[in-house]
Amino acid sequence: MTPENGNTTPGKLRVLNVNFAGCEGCNVSVLRAYPKISDVVDLDIAYLGERRHESYDVAIITGGVCMNDPKSVEELKEIRKISDIVVAFGSCATFGGILRFCRGGQEPRPDQRNFQPANSVIRVDYSIPGCPPTPQMLVSFFKFLREGNERRLKLFKVVAGVKKLSGFDLIDDVVLTGLCIGCGACELSCPTGAIRLIEKRPDLIQEKCIRCGTCYVRCPRASSIICMKGGD
Amino acid sequence: MMNVQENPLGPVMGIYLCRAADEDIKRMKVASGGAVTALLLYMLEKDLVDGIVTAKRTKGLEGQAVVARTREELLRTAGNKWSIVPFAARIKEKIEEEDLKRVGIVCLPCQAQFFSQMRDFPLLETDFGERIKYIVSLFCMGTFAFEAFLNYLRIRYDVPPSAIEDIRLERDSLTVKHEGGELRLPIKEVYSYLQAGCLVCTDYTGVWSDISAGSLNEERGWTVMITRNPKAENLLRGAKEEGYLEIRDGSHVMGSVMKGAKDKLARAQRNMMTLL
Ligand code: SF4
Ligand code: SF4
Repeated sequence: MTPENGNTTPGKLRVLNVNFAGCEGCNVSVLRAYPKISDVVDLDIAYLGERRHESYDVAIITGGVCMNDPKSVEELKEIRKISDIVVAFGSCATFGGILRFCRGGQEPRPDQRNFQPANSVIRVDYSIPGCPPTPQMLVSFFKFLREGNERRLKLFKVVAGVKKLSGFDLIDDVVLTGLCIGCGACELSCPTGAIRLIEKRPDLIQEKCIRCGTCYVRCPRASSIICMKGGD
Repeated sequence: MMNVQENPLGPVMGIYLCRAADEDIKRMKVASGGAVTALLLYMLEKDLVDGIVTAKRTKGLEGQAVVARTREELLRTAGNKWSIVPFAARIKEKIEEEDLKRVGIVCLPCQAQFFSQMRDFPLLETDFGERIKYIVSLFCMGTFAFEAFLNYLRIRYDVPPSAIEDIRLERDSLTVKHEGGELRLPIKEVYSYLQAGCLVCTDYTGVWSDISAGSLNEERGWTVMITRNPKAENLLRGAKEEGYLEIRDGSHVMGSVMKGAKDKLARAQRNMMTLL
């Protein structure tokens, strides 16, 4: 790696994407967003070549971290050191997502059993779930980040401190507590169709839930409560 | 500790008192002056949107999400604000079925939050946020667990669901307009029929909307409208210039709206301590 400082256009944010374990859906989403943010962001991503800098304004972590792989764990810690802001992008990086189901024994790496979200290893500043989140999501994120719009970004800041969120938590925290108002936002937001509204209350088809957390952050009740509690 | 530093009214650009210029609409909506209907009509007739998504009362207090594309359809919807219509999934279907590219949505604060967050933050490829042009949120003190509430009205006051014409929920009282007259109940009496989720809701006006609208006792015949961004300001100005809305300054009612917002916030905080 040959860092060549100074070839970033002034005023642009230096952004680094590093992909850990996952399906590459999230880093492709980052790549797809790039043409729309290239006027404000200078992106280093494996698809486009080597890293060019020693430090970054924003690091976007995609994929989950294999805890049985010391190299990955160290790399993630290193990224924290060289980046001002760390964003976990996509459900595997934020909440573990489908990687939570890994139990090893699989080729080509039967030794890899335990995958965790980025915030199990380092401090994360913003967590954006989604399987994968859309490119437009990243465009919005940078827009609000540059504007310094804390109010809009609060939800993502608050969930950066949460390691696990899924349909199970939604049922536990909102439905079983009687706080669900029956709006249907969760049903609409689940990418796998794991939620069905029955008699105006969501029901979870457990084996379909990939633990992406989208329903939870999209539920107006869950998201406002988590923001209130996490807002100190 | 919970964070209460944020302004409970959310971002405010302007606050106005509005009513419909159209005599028909004004007659239909005596209490509020029909400003929301007139504003929606302006969006439709001046082709700012392809359709308006709103809730239509079906039976009892139940409602259904519908799309209005003409004046007639719009006047027939006469919003449902007493119960939450499972808006989200149904609306997506509607918008896609009818291939609406630009919609205006009238909804309650919690729904405004969802739609606005979807518009700003598309987490899913299947989101349709870019199609949502205007979000109008109605002031809200809560919605009902309506099966229980309707039973109560029937048993205690002999008012069957079919006779109910309108329900107004205010800070300290609830008025049920029915075929035989009006029933005014102190909020304490009906408190337990509110949905628990609404008791922890902190948002009175709909801070995530483009425009919030609601009526106040002290300004009968007018609707308070809060604009939250330049787009909303332009919309109101346009509706006035094109002769749909009468608008006057509303800064003198800011205090009352703020009181409503603070009351709801305080109620939510109290309830969160016990319910969560
Ligand atoms: S229920 Fe659906 S949206 Fe919620 S975490 Fe599970 S897969 Fe994701
Ligand atoms: S999004 Fe939340 S409040 Fe709405 S139906 Fe689902 S669980 Fe209930």
